[in-house]
Amino acid sequence: MADDRKIVIDVENVSKTFFVRSRKVETIRQRAYNLLRARKNKQIAIKALTNINFSVYKGEFLGIVGHNGSGKSTLLKIIMGAFPADKGGNITVDGKIIRLALGMGFDNTLTARDNIYVNGTVLGLTFKQLGQKFSSILEFAELEDFVDTPLKYFSSGMRSRLAFAIAMQTEADIYLMDEFFGGVGDVGFMQKSDHIFQDRILQGRTIVHVSHQLRILKKHADRIIWLDKGMIKEIGSPDDILPRYKQEYLKEKRKRRKKVGEQLLDLEDV
Amino acid sequence: MINTILKPFEKHLPENNRLERIWKLAQVDFKKRYYNDYFGLVWALINPLFRMAIYYFVFSFIFSQKIENYHLYLFSALIFWMYFAESTKRGLSTLLTKRYLIENIVFNRLDLFYSLSLSVIFGLLFNLVAYVGMSLITGIYFTWSVLLLPIMLFLAYIVSVSFGLILSTLNIYFKDIMHLWDMVLLAGFWITPIFFRGEEILSRAPILLYANPMSGIIINARKVLLFGELPDWNLLLFSSVYALVLFLVGRFFFLKYSHKAVEKL
Repeated sequence: MADDRKIVIDVENVSKTFFVRSRKVETIRQRAYNLLRARKNKQIAIKALTNINFSVYKGEFLGIVGHNGSGKSTLLKIIMGAFPADKGGNITVDGKIIRLALGMGFDNTLTARDNIYVNGTVLGLTFKQLGQKFSSILEFAELEDFVDTPLKYFSSGMRSRLAFAIAMQTEADIYLMDEFFGGVGDVGFMQKSDHIFQDRILQGRTIVHVSHQLRILKKHADRIIWLDKGMIKEIGSPDDILPRYKQEYLKEKRKRRKKVGEQLLDLEDV
Repeated sequence: MINTILKPFEKHLPENNRLERIWKLAQVDFKKRYYNDYFGLVWALINPLFRMAIYYFVFSFIFSQKIENYHLYLFSALIFWMYFAESTKRGLSTLLTKRYLIENIVFNRLDLFYSLSLSVIFGLLFNLVAYVGMSLITGIYFTWSVLLLPIMLFLAYIVSVSFGLILSTLNIYFKDIMHLWDMVLLAGFWITPIFFRGEEILSRAPILLYANPMSGIIINARKVLLFGELPDWNLLLFSSVYALVLFLVGRFFFLKYSHKAVEKL
């Protein structure tokens, strides 16, 4: 990795602690009650992330892997600024960010047209720009026949296509993808996503991709971060990390299945 | 229907992303509320008209309130008060209803509140049209002073946005603030000069008048709408300063304490 490249995301010493109480204290009534109680309802601190340090360069495709609950999504949300990191941590982001997650970012009661306009303007496009890009958004999403259909009638594949089509047309510099292509049983979209990354339609844009789909990461990622229990276990190339991660994942999976007898998510083949 | 009414305005917006964003969010919000059909809009009118009819009946027949053109007297204040009540109630839960946006995109969250109050203003404008019709039928014609009405609208808008900002921030930490606010609105309704004269309260308990940011706005709105007089300038100045202070406080409060919104809601 050439270090002379421009850093667009700089994560320094970031930790995140969530405070959970054994009983919920969210209302005035509960707060008053909690004050009066002799035995205080104590807060339990859950450390979701501990001392995370890394940088992302302009135009880079960074993959993040880790077991469920390792803090991947929390990390993305903190980078996005959806919630703040603990004191002492620092995040610098240079550029416009959009987070793509499955089934999110739309108002279900609105039509595709309205959702395109709402998301587009919130992302920083003017009506004029949106007007010019409108047909290509629809074309890419293959939704020409459903412009005025409320989103609640859309399949998850249709939603993902729409979300992606909008995101592609915006001036966002950084794309945070949270299991975005996971769970879509839409073969066409899967191929399309391959095509998107391969042809570098998003050229010059920075991508941070959290995924269980190691196939995509192996093919397209420049670097991989392996998160384990809220800490960075390793940062390295996909060829180096992914096979070992897969092994450990399978080991863990077998162990858990023995223990609890539960079935975990299947991993795609590396 | 709503689109055909709002579309012409859209063309005159300057090409500015922020204004367009506020406008689009407001438009979509308004459309959602009134189902996007002809009959939907009727609901925006029926509610205040129905209220007016009830209050008219109660106060003129039961309490025999003697005010000339009492139906207009009531309605001119009622549309402002209902605007304030609806705008603040919906502002309170805005962070929740617009969660789908704030979770995924970084943008100025204040815009959500500007657009929400704007969408409620669209409803108020429909009520104003009804008021004008009623006024002409009654035989009350407008004077030039009515041109000052946009000032009162603007002040009511600022006050509503400010309360929306404060309430939505409180709502992150106290999930039952909604019930409390309902009670405040109920009390507010009875101490705001909607069905009685503001002057009576002013002489007996001026604090009630000056503490309530909507009182001055409503009194002056009624002056220019119904009485065809110029507004009480001192009161107008007071209302403006009050609105500005509220806005600065609300904005500061929101920017400082709302960062935990996604985490807590």
